[in-house]
Amino acid sequence: MAIDTEKMSGAESLRKTRTYGKVRCHNPSCMERLQPPAGADHIKCPTCGMEYRIFWVNPNLPRIRGPVWDVNRKLAEAKLANTNKSKSKKTAKKGGE
Amino acid sequence: MALNRKIAYIDLSTGEIEIKPIPLEVRKKFLGGRGLDAYLLYNNTEQGCDPLGPGNTLMISGGILTATCASATARTHVMAKSPLTGLLGSANMGGFFAPEMAWAGFHHLVIKGKAEKPVYIWIHNGEIEIRDATNLWGKTTTETQWAIREELGDDEIKSAVIGPAGENLVRFANVMTGIKNSAGRTGMGCVMGSKNLKAVAARGTMDIKIAHPVDALEYNKRFIDQITSAKVNQTQGTLGTPFIWGATNSWGGIRTRNFQYNQCENADDIEPERIDEICEETMGPYHMTGCFGCQVHCRAQYKIPSGPYAGKYDEGPEYTSQGAFGGEPDCKNAVTVLTGNHLVDQYGMDNLETGSIISWAMELYELGIITSKDTDGLDLKFGNDEALLEMITRICYRDGWLADTLADGGIPASEKIGKDSFSYLIQVKGMSNLHSDERATPALALNIATGSRGSDHLRSRPAIDLYHLPEEVLRKIYSNPVPYDGPLSSEHTSYDGKPWMVFWQENCYMGVDCLGICKYHTTFLGATLPNFEDWTKVLYYNTGLEMTPKEIWDVAERCYNIERLFNLREGLQREDLKKGDMLNHRYFDEPCRRGAIDVIGATIDRKKFKKMIDEYYGHHGWDENGVPTPETLKRLGLDQEPSHLL
Amino acid sequence: MEKVLMINYQKCTGCRLCELVCSVMHDGVSNPARSRIKVMKWEAEGLYVPMSCQQCEDAPCMNVCPVKAISRDEDLGFVMVDYDICIGCRSCVAVCPFGAMNYNSIDKKVFKCDLCGGDPQCVRFCEVNAIEYVDAERLSIYKRKDAAERLSVAQKEAGALQAAM
Repeated sequence: MAIDTEKMSGAESLRKTRTYGKVRCHNPSCMERLQPPAGADHIKCPTCGMEYRIFWVNPNLPRIRGPVWDVNRKLAEAKLANTNKSKSKKTAKKGGE
Repeated sequence: MALNRKIAYIDLSTGEIEIKPIPLEVRKKFLGGRGLDAYLLYNNTEQGCDPLGPGNTLMISGGILTATCASATARTHVMAKSPLTGLLGSANMGGFFAPEMAWAGFHHLVIKGKAEKPVYIWIHNGEIEIRDATNLWGKTTTETQWAIREELGDDEIKSAVIGPAGENLVRFANVMTGIKNSAGRTGMGCVMGSKNLKAVAARGTMDIKIAHPVDALEYNKRFIDQITSAKVNQTQGTLGTPFIWGATNSWGGIRTRNFQYNQCENADDIEPERIDEICEETMGPYHMTGCFGCQVHCRAQYKIPSGPYAGKYDEGPEYTSQGAFGGEPDCKNAVTVLTGNHLVDQYGMDNLETGSIISWAMELYELGIITSKDTDGLDLKFGNDEALLEMITRICYRDGWLADTLADGGIPASEKIGKDSFSYLIQVKGMSNLHSDERATPALALNIATGSRGSDHLRSRPAIDLYHLPEEVLRKIYSNPVPYDGPLSSEHTSYDGKPWMVFWQENCYMGVDCLGICKYHTTFLGATLPNFEDWTKVLYYNTGLEMTPKEIWDVAERCYNIERLFNLREGLQREDLKKGDMLNHRYFDEPCRRGAIDVIGATIDRKKFKKMIDEYYGHHGWDENGVPTPETLKRLGLDQEPSHLL
Repeated sequence: MEKVLMINYQKCTGCRLCELVCSVMHDGVSNPARSRIKVMKWEAEGLYVPMSCQQCEDAPCMNVCPVKAISRDEDLGFVMVDYDICIGCRSCVAVCPFGAMNYNSIDKKVFKCDLCGGDPQCVRFCEVNAIEYVDAERLSIYKRKDAAERLSVAQKEAGALQAAM
């Protein structure tokens, strides 16, 4: 077998798909790509309303540090109340199979 | 050269040592590291052997590429029958030990029997000696390593050691090297303790000839560039593995208060950015360190800034310690995480199992299933940092009824505690889950349910499933080196195609574990990191061994099937909650209460989960009970096991 | 122009890749015992210091060599051993104030850094730039700038502290 040095592997060829300067909204059905302005310390997702605190690993590499707690907690509680309402008749099993 | 590193059979009962070459045909079938260890385990233990008896066999190994001119090949693998689970015991660590053992002439150790009194094994340039370790008994992991250096008069000796937890037969004691590198899971330190084996020390200055040195050097540069240019590794090289906490806690994937919540709220003090600040304050701006030959440098260095252990130096904490001593027990103080991390490092105890089992006990305490009488007055409620740290020490020394009970592992403890304590225990196959919550991520749930060593992220987790990658990118990754045209979904809440992703990752992780490469250098946290195709080159340039990507895939599959055969032999049954590919009922019954909007209410669907398992068995060529079919075994050349090839 | 290795030990992560690539480059083998550069470690406190030849102007190894086997390369300025002349007495190993002259017990030869003929592999592979290959005369400029930066940061911090008080 001759090893082809020049040939790019699958992993190497995927390198061009890397994106920079963006983060993704963490809401599963949203996953919107968000581009925080340089140095911004938080960002709100225009699609689903969740808010995140931003940390910059380097000037081109933002990351989500965590949620803005009170905003996301409110969104979560509203959703939880809805979920509970629709499932109020059902009770979850507890304690063993 | 790498291929002539030897295997040594060491019998601690008789003191006999036999050194053998590793035949090329064995290399081609199992490569090395975890894969060959699995073969050796299956071939060198009797069915039903006592994990703590002389009949259990302990393997310590490096990968086939360890200490060659390949990036991050510093991994040491440790394998035996697990005293925690009664099934496969298998753990992997970084650091500098395996390369040193390779320069000393060895890739694999097979340790049998039991020494009469404490001993350690000394490996030096082709020679092996069993030495008295009476003076080392009782010492912590770092004290032991420094004492061996002093005794033998060489500061460059690297040792794999156990701490007091291993000596005290804590079922989840680990094997450690350096400050914090740990072969943590499944209680391999407990096996060493049961054999009166305190340490394995190595020092070597023997050449490892590189097959094609110029090419190996050039290709290594290219390989490293592929790795260090990835965003994930730049982030990891800055914040360490705790960086994972950011996204995971943000969307709601951190197990909190045992399993009551899926997010650790307002935990700003244990966020990676805060921990990084402490590292910088105590160790200066350049506070990252790395394992042998690795340019990712994902390990932070720190000194505990305050509290009873103020000023103590350690490395980490990893993401796992954040969860084990932060999220699960709901102790949201950086100092607690750093201190807990330091304690388990010194005692030689698995941080994941320790944090998880204490959090389980906290839930039982709050439910009244255990009381302050059981805890000897300790107020073991969630968020009690002092109680958490106190319990760590008590477990290590089996101090008091509860600590002694917990030190035996979750399932035995639940049998002793009784009531419905077992139903709150978040484990698979007897091993506690790490601190992640998989209720919103079917692929990850399947991964922990089927992992060959129990509930764990390092056997088959398709972590990139969370990145919402375009389907064509997923397809490019997951249909190579074997074709796959079934479903694949970018949605991580979906069940579609996830069994294939888990199957693929199993082979990928088995591949790196056989080669000796770190998982941060493959398709684990980064989608564009090297895998099968890239490994053919690194293998060829360094060892001269010519294999196709498919052949490496076959090795991985073969080795994974040996692990399966071992587990089946020791009693694995598909739906057995204690020994099977099954999740705690809470995954199915208790909806997520926190996290991103669409994570709220998420559970794993029982029917779909069952279907995923069926599909996953199908990909493997296993029957509906998860047993490899005769055709599968024949295809993989495993129809004659145990075959005793070496 | 003469270039030298500039080592900033604070940046070193202690991974020892430099040792590995050095031995592969020179001897075609992986073996840190053959490396011209060595990372000295104090693991209990997280301190790692790479040590290599300083290519001294008034090189003790060159002065002590009884058979004059050690000379300076005219193009790159590094100190080198002529193995046709070397008798293997190891006087140079004994006299080097940095421990940078090594002795290899496999080949029974002394060996030292030759800057890989102008493309030092330790530098090439060190992603954190703990080792750099710089013009000898600019060495102090880099150090000076580093120190000045630290000073100015300290001064700014002190100023801010004063203002806050």
